[in-house]
Formats: sequence, C-alpha cells, structure tokens
Amino acid sequence: MNSLRIFFVGGLTSYRALFGWLSPWILVPTFLFTPLFQILLFVYIGRTAGVNDDRFFLIGNAVVNAAVPCLFAMGNTIEGERSAGTLPLLIASPAKRLPLFLGRALPVILNGFLVAVFALVTGTLLLRVDLPPATWGGIAVAIAACSVSCTGLGLLGAAIALRVRQTAVMSNIVLGILIVFAGVNVPLAAMPGWMQEVARWLPMTHGIAATHDLAAGQRLGDVAGALLAELALGAFYAALGLVLLRWLEWESRLKASLDMA
Amino acid sequence: MGGPVIQVDGLARTFRTGRGLFRRSSREIEAVKGVSFAVERGELFGLLGPNGAGKTTTIKMLITLLLPTSGQARVLGHDVVKQARDVRRKVGYVFGGDRGLYERLSGLDNLRYFAELYGVSPRESKQRVGELLELVGLTGREKERVEGYSRGMRQRLHIARGLLHRPEVLFLDEPSIGIDPVGARELRATVKHLVDAGTTVLLTTHYMFEADELCDRIAVIARGRIVALDTPAELKKQVTTGSVLEVDVFGLPDGLVDRVRAEPNVQSVVVDVRGQAQVLTVHAQPGTDVTQAVMGHLEGSRYGRVVTREPTLEDAYIELVNAA
Amino acid sequence: MKAVRLVAVAWWLQLKMRSRSAFDGLLSLLYPMFFATTIFMMFRHGGAAGPALLSAAVGSSAMGIWSAVSTTAAFALQTERRQGTLELLVLSPQPFALLLVPLTLSMATIGAYSMAATLLWGRFAFGIDIAIADPVAFVLSVIVTVFAIAMLGMLIAISSIRYRSAWALGAALEMPVWLICGFLVAISDLPSWVRPLSAVLAPTWGVAAMRAAATGRSPWADLAYCLLTAAGYGVVAVLVSRVMVHSARARATLALT
Repeated sequence: MNSLRIFFVGGLTSYRALFGWLSPWILVPTFLFTPLFQILLFVYIGRTAGVNDDRFFLIGNAVVNAAVPCLFAMGNTIEGERSAGTLPLLIASPAKRLPLFLGRALPVILNGFLVAVFALVTGTLLLRVDLPPATWGGIAVAIAACSVSCTGLGLLGAAIALRVRQTAVMSNIVLGILIVFAGVNVPLAAMPGWMQEVARWLPMTHGIAATHDLAAGQRLGDVAGALLAELALGAFYAALGLVLLRWLEWESRLKASLDMA
Repeated sequence: MGGPVIQVDGLARTFRTGRGLFRRSSREIEAVKGVSFAVERGELFGLLGPNGAGKTTTIKMLITLLLPTSGQARVLGHDVVKQARDVRRKVGYVFGGDRGLYERLSGLDNLRYFAELYGVSPRESKQRVGELLELVGLTGREKERVEGYSRGMRQRLHIARGLLHRPEVLFLDEPSIGIDPVGARELRATVKHLVDAGTTVLLTTHYMFEADELCDRIAVIARGRIVALDTPAELKKQVTTGSVLEVDVFGLPDGLVDRVRAEPNVQSVVVDVRGQAQVLTVHAQPGTDVTQAVMGHLEGSRYGRVVTREPTLEDAYIELVNAA
Repeated sequence: MKAVRLVAVAWWLQLKMRSRSAFDGLLSLLYPMFFATTIFMMFRHGGAAGPALLSAAVGSSAMGIWSAVSTTAAFALQTERRQGTLELLVLSPQPFALLLVPLTLSMATIGAYSMAATLLWGRFAFGIDIAIADPVAFVLSVIVTVFAIAMLGMLIAISSIRYRSAWALGAALEMPVWLICGFLVAISDLPSWVRPLSAVLAPTWGVAAMRAAATGRSPWADLAYCLLTAAGYGVVAVLVSRVMVHSARARATLALT
C-alpha cells in the first residue's frame, strides 16, 4: 500500500471525520478565542504576580497552542475510531503504522501551527509587544520544531491509547504536566533543580527557550543546539511509540488485550 | 365523567431534515398524516403498526413531547399544546428499550428522583416507591445500580416510574420490545391489572398477538394514517380469507389438487413439501367450512396431521397494511 | 418549599452519580491543580508574599469551581438526551429551569472539592500560609459562589437544549471567566471597558467576598451583590428555558432521533 497515499488521503479523511460538524460556532471559539484568552490570562496574572514581562507569557502560551494539538491528535483519532467502531478495521489493515498515524496527525499539526501564528500576531498587536519582523522566520522554525517533538510524544500517547480507555484524561494530565514543567509561564532558571531536570526531557522546553532567545534578537544559528535537542526528543518518543505499538499489536493477537470497543 | 379521555382530531406531524453545510437542502417527512380517534375511560386502546408507521410520533404528540404541525388533541380535557402542564400532571409514559434511566444510580434512587420530579408528595413518596417496587417484582434488587439490570428488570422499573404519580392515563410505547416471553407475559398481566383498576391505557406495539390479547380496541396505523379502527374480533372479520385447513399427506394422488380446487367454497389450494410429507393448505371462503369436502377427497390416501385454524389478526393486519 | 426539596433531593442524587465515576472525578480535581501550580510558581517567581499570596491561593483554588461547571454544563443536557432521560425531564410538571439547578449545582459542588484540594496543595507543597481571617464568612462565601457559578452554568446548559454546538462556547468561556471575574487579577488592573462586564457576572462578587473574608475585610456587600446577580440569572433562565423547550418540542430535538 502506497505509504504516501495513506499519509495524505487517510489523514485528510480522518480529519474531516473528526470535524464532521464543521460549524463556525465551534471553530471560532476553539481555535481563535481560547488560545487568545489563554495568553491574556497569563499576561495579566504575570503582571499581578509582579513579573512584568508580557512578551514572555505571550510567547510561552502561543507556542503551547501549536504543540498541544500535536499531542492529542493521534490519541483522539484512536478514540474517535474506537467510538465509531472502526478501530479494529484500522488495526487489522496492512498499512504501515508510521504514515498511517502521522497522516492523521498532519492536518492537525498544520492547524496547530496556524493557531499559534494567529495567537502570536494578535497577541503582539493587542498587548503592544515588540516582536520585530526579522525574528519571525526563526520563531516559525522554533514553533515547528516544538510541533514535531510533541507529535513524537503524541505517537507514544496514541500507542498507549490503544490499551488505555481514558484517553482524554491521560491527555489532559500530560498537558497539565507540560504547562507546569516546560517553562511556559515560569522561566526554567526560576524552577527548583529537580524540576529543571525533568523539564529537559520534555518536549517544548528547549523549543520555548529557543523562541525566547530568538525573540530577543539571537540568530537561528545560536539556538540550533536547542532546536536539535527538541527534534531529537521528538524522534526518541516517536521511536518509543512505534515499538510500543508493535508490541501491543503482537500482544493483542496473543491475548485479545487491545481495547477495541 | 363523560366524554372521551383522549380525543384526537386530524393530528399531523412533519419533520424537516437538513443536510449539508453551505447549501442546506432539506427534506420533509410526513410522519403522521392526520389521525383521528377517541379513547374512552378505562379502555385499553392499541395502536398497532409496523416500524416507521408513526406510532411513537403520535404518542409523543399526545404526551406533549412533540408539537403537532396541524390538528388537535385533548387528553383529559386539556389541550396538548396549550395546557401541556395540566396534561403532564396526569399522564404517565413508559417506553421500551434500555435507555431512560440513570445508570449509575440504584433502582431505588431512580424512583426517588422521578418521584420528586413528578410531584409525588414527600409524605407519600417512600410508601409509593415501596408499593410499586412490589407491584413490578423488583423488591430486593432496588439497591443495585441500574447499569447491572437486565432488559426485563429495566422495563419493570420503567413501569414503576411511570406509575409513581398515579396517572389517570398511561401511555405505553412498545413496552415488550426485547423482553423474553416470560417477562412479556408478566408485563401484560400487570397492564391488565392496571386497566381493571381504572387506569386508561394507550399501548403501541407491532406484536399482533399482544394487541389481540390485551386491547379492547385497536387502531391499525400504517404510513402515518389509521387504516382501521375496531375491536380485535371485528378486525378479524374484515379479513377476506376464511378458515385455513392444513393436511400432511403422504403420497398425494394425481388430480387431487384440481378436484379440491373445484369444490365450491374453496378459495385457494397450495401444496408445500415439508420433509416426508406434502402439506396441503386449503383456504376456505369466509364463513364456510370445507373440512368435510376435502377429507372426502382424501379417502384412501395416507395422511397425518390435520389442522384447521381461524384467520388470525396477523392475516387481517397484513391485508390492511398492504392495502395502505 | 416543594421547589427547595426538589432541588435538594435532585442535587444529592446528581452528586451521587457524578462522584461515582472515579476517573472523571480525578480529572476534575487534578486539572485545575496544574493551573494552580503554575500560578503559585509565578507568584513565587514574582516575589509575592503574605496577603497577596493568600489572595492568589484563594483565587486560583476557586478556579476549579468554574472549571467543573464550564466544561460540563453544556454537556449536561446532551448526556441526558443520550441517556434517554431528557424527555422524562421535560415531561415533569415542574418548570424545566428548576430541574436544571440541581444539575449545575452538583457540578459546582464537585468544583468545591477541587478548591479544598488545591488549598491543601498550596499549603503543603508551596508552604503558603492559609490563614483565613474569618472562617465562617469564608465558608459562606464559598457556598454562595458555588451557587452563583451554578446559576451561570445553568444559562449555558439551557442554550444547549436548542443549540447543539453550545458546548464549544461553554468550553471556550473557561478562561475568559477566570480573567474577567477577577479570580486572580484585580478588576482594577483590567481595561476599564471590561469592568461593566465583570460587574454583571455573579462569580466576580463571590470571589471578591471570598478574598475579603480570607484577608479580614468585610464580605457582606459583595455577597449581597452576588446573590442579586445570581437571582437575576435565575429569572433569565426561567424565561429562556420556556422558549427553548417550546422550540425543542417544535423541532423534535429532545430525543436523539
């Protein structure tokens, strides 16, 4: 089976199925309203807390919007297929797993990227934050890197989702952990040592730090190390996910253990 | 109190379904096309029809869950559109299936909840709930969560729920669907009991024998219209086939079928092969009996089982529905 | 008084139902705690201490009450519809709005558990001194805020009886309400054109009362406003629900099919 075809066609169809109820009443609140308000919320809390750095909170919370959909995309797909009853069909198909899952993730990833850009631009205008155009290219690359690494973690999540029913709960807990540890609203340096250690192994940490540096005027070359770390983490989690996937499928043939319905 | 308990005049309901996001196209479905009937106090009235005939839609209009697109209906003298609240105070609604209960609560808690909802006075509530649990045979299992109930138990709980506030009229929508024969029989016994005690019952079903056994009068509904309304006995008389004679013959002689067919009062003759025997099925003209004549022709032949049966409600129903 | 008894019994049973799903319960407790943790860290980073920190602790733990309602209110009726019980609710001779109060009230009550958990978390994980100046007034303020948030949730729930995509709006309101009702940010710090909106939202007054009681100021005026606005929502809910239910009966949206 043509992997490329699985990637694009399968992904697009699944995306449309997930959003079958394509109504502006759902799109606008979810993709435009909420990300913006998250930024505003933390900016104001920051000010109240005595941390007067609007740009810090703007960047952190904008990047989260790019990364989060990538985290959930594949797990949600599994959940969606499960409730529609098509999960067994998916698992039984001979298609290669990587393009299968990634294909389903791609439209969501692009979606997340656009939301992040929108949030960043709007936030900059609303809060009158200084983000010179020269930095935009680099920032876009950094955001993309975060998306990629979160996708890797998402693949691991999707594998777990095959076994565990409560995808939504698990996903939200992961999101919570990321928001607390990845330096979204508190700079890494201000966190206790053990938290910094944990943060280094999480996606988004390096990418967000790189984005801050880029916004402050550093060049892409300067932050390359951080971005590579980000991508490497993504690959690591993705590999873990694929291994787990293969093992779970094998185990399910042995013990009928996959939660298919 | 005179006057019918339920009065329906030209009740109709159309549904509109929309499709597509940008170019919304809609279709109109006429589920009920103008039905009229009246139900007297203490009657067990049946609404019999195939799936999709409009039974549930009709019932939902009568209990105020749906607004009719045209026509009128009054329950206990109250208009179902303008005096909905008065209607709701005095009617009960029981429907078949698994849904309609709070899964995570026990049967007892479900009844407590609905007792509050339907305005059972606090003083009476506890006693009433206990009474009903006994009536439907769930005493001893009321503390278990509904999610563990079988379909039959759920149905019984539904009935208890429907009766909490002592309704004068009870609407039963396909209550025995998916219930085992024993459970269904108990259900029918309970319904008969209720009617004997004075409750008026309107029952929808697609089981012929159920309607035949229970109902004082039946309205046959098909494709949104009432095609017949009468007592079961009268409806059976409307069937154009008379009694049916079935004989298992071993070795049908040549020409026998033609000879039987030539008999006066024989409407039709059909021969089936079932295992070793050939089954001779003879339909007589209505009101006549052809047994003697047919058996006469079978003198000297080997035959086994001989059965005569009356036209059933099923025959009448199929005829009526097909004519619609 | 029949109404009070109905709400009380129904609230208790709804609470029973909601607390029986262990996993969902865990999430509604944990999720606001992640936000609260971030916020505690932010305040520490900014060098806050004493009353400012206590204020922040109270505000961020109260966030859980609104979370519990905003995320589930719009789904409440959809769940009833799927269970097949929505029709049975409409069939009740009691006014429909009254039947919704226990639904959202039970959600808000679970949010109150989250609040307690978050306060304990702040005390033991962050060493924040939870020294409530007036405990009685504080508990009263929490109760009134729970009620006010339940009433706000009811408005969301009612709109979902007719509009199936109301859930998206409800979910999207989670953070705006946190911001605009001054859970963490003083209303005076927000742009001036937001203030009328804050004043009209009942939780604003409830949270203000909670903070006042915690830091030793008088909460009574705030509580009065809170009850007033919440009662206003009740009136709106009664009127709107009549229209909504009528519309649902006309368009046959009470059942799944």
